[in-house]
Amino acid sequence: MSPATLQNYLLVGAALFALGMVGFLTRRNMILMFLSAEMMLQGVAVNLVAFAKYRGDLGGQALVLFILAVAACEAAIALALILMLYKRRKSLDISAWQELREPDQEPVVDTEPLAAGEAGIDFQHLTPAGAAPARKDAEEVSHV
Amino acid sequence: MDFQVTVFAQAEAARGVWPFLKENGLLLAPPVLSFVALGVLLPRARRSAPLWGVLLAVFALILGAAVLVRTETVFVETLLFYAFAGLALGAGGMMIAQRNPVHAALSFALVVLSTCGLFLLQAAPFLMAATIIVYAGAIVVTFLFVIMLAHQGGASSADQSTREPVLASVAGCVLLASLVILLHRTYDTTPLDQLGAELKKVGDARDEAEVIKLLGDPKQTEFGKFTRPIVEKLREQFSAEGQDEIREEIEAFQKAWNFMNVPRITQKARLLHEAVLAKRQQQGSLALNEVPGKSKTPGHSAPGKLPAQNVAALGRTVFTDYLVPVLLAAVLLLVATIGAIVIAGRRSEELR
Repeated sequence: MSPATLQNYLLVGAALFALGMVGFLTRRNMILMFLSAEMMLQGVAVNLVAFAKYRGDLGGQALVLFILAVAACEAAIALALILMLYKRRKSLDISAWQELREPDQEPVVDTEPLAAGEAGIDFQHLTPAGAAPARKDAEEVSHV
Repeated sequence: MDFQVTVFAQAEAARGVWPFLKENGLLLAPPVLSFVALGVLLPRARRSAPLWGVLLAVFALILGAAVLVRTETVFVETLLFYAFAGLALGAGGMMIAQRNPVHAALSFALVVLSTCGLFLLQAAPFLMAATIIVYAGAIVVTFLFVIMLAHQGGASSADQSTREPVLASVAGCVLLASLVILLHRTYDTTPLDQLGAELKKVGDARDEAEVIKLLGDPKQTEFGKFTRPIVEKLREQFSAEGQDEIREEIEAFQKAWNFMNVPRITQKARLLHEAVLAKRQQQGSLALNEVPGKSKTPGHSAPGKLPAQNVAALGRTVFTDYLVPVLLAAVLLLVATIGAIVIAGRRSEELR
């Protein structure tokens, strides 16, 4: 493998890392912030695998295995934390936790906050399909 | 050990901003354009992303493929690299520009899948399988569950707007542009390629007329008029310590030309051509005198090549050289599991 090929892969890794960084800095949904951080890890993994090929040394691939292990741990912990935070504020918005800012910082305010029902997109709904199942009597069902 | 980092070893004279931009403008264009597009495309409240932002992003991606990516002759591999890399970067951009978090998570799955394609191209089939299983199979699906649980009331205002899209795009642009220039300086082999081509021509010359055509006649022209650029370039390339033998060869080449000793010229040119090729092969590696692939730790593969049996060799590496880290990773996984249960298992009443 030539240095030119190595450089191509390093460029892809760098671009993934930069994209993940921008996503982490801008997005307000906690889950998307976490996924952006995972994308940065993917960029690093591309780098490591490319170096492993270039140098003919499997150490790089072994390090990617460790990245996978750490990412799995991180996902478990982050999921638990996000669920706990969601239970308390009923929102995935990171701006709901502005009291964690530095004491001398002004709180960030939305310049154009959206009203409660005014969201740009509608979530998909399943179309009802088939006939509704016939309801049986409660006694008949409770044979457990 | 003689470490020399190429980028920092080249002391650079202080220059103005404009010469720098003029020299590197073409390199800087793709990152700058792509992050301008990204800054436009990031979601804002009550405004939909303009079409020209999408077009600009696509244009920046194509420009990057044309300017930054330097391909070799292996056709199928190059094609697959373009496909996977383009898919990964496009899906990455889509992920951070999506308003619907479910679509963003699915775009992230696409990023992971195309990255796995890149892994496969780089002779890492086990990692490809493991990454697909762990990321696309476990992490993304779990997070999709959480998104769907949390968004039962419909879209939230947090997903419809972003914090400081312009400033963040500038930060990302600065990061990527500096990395691009750094990589270009480290791995750019075009001067060596030109030098190698010239030396190869001289090495293949058959008679005196051909040598004179390529290098000039030492009797008629001004002293060293034609060989001097080659010799100067060679001296510049092989100026590091520990390369005295090659420097002697360069002087011998110059001397042979001065006396028009054709067999000696071609012999020395072939020798120097080989030296240039060897230098090109280890361009960008940290230790200058080290052959890429030659690992000092025992139990590793043959120099320069990964072993054919990827899973077996990776297992051997992981369970010999990296045994303690593997055990630590196992402990880490256990601790993380316990921690997740402790954090998430609390009742919500206890929290208040």
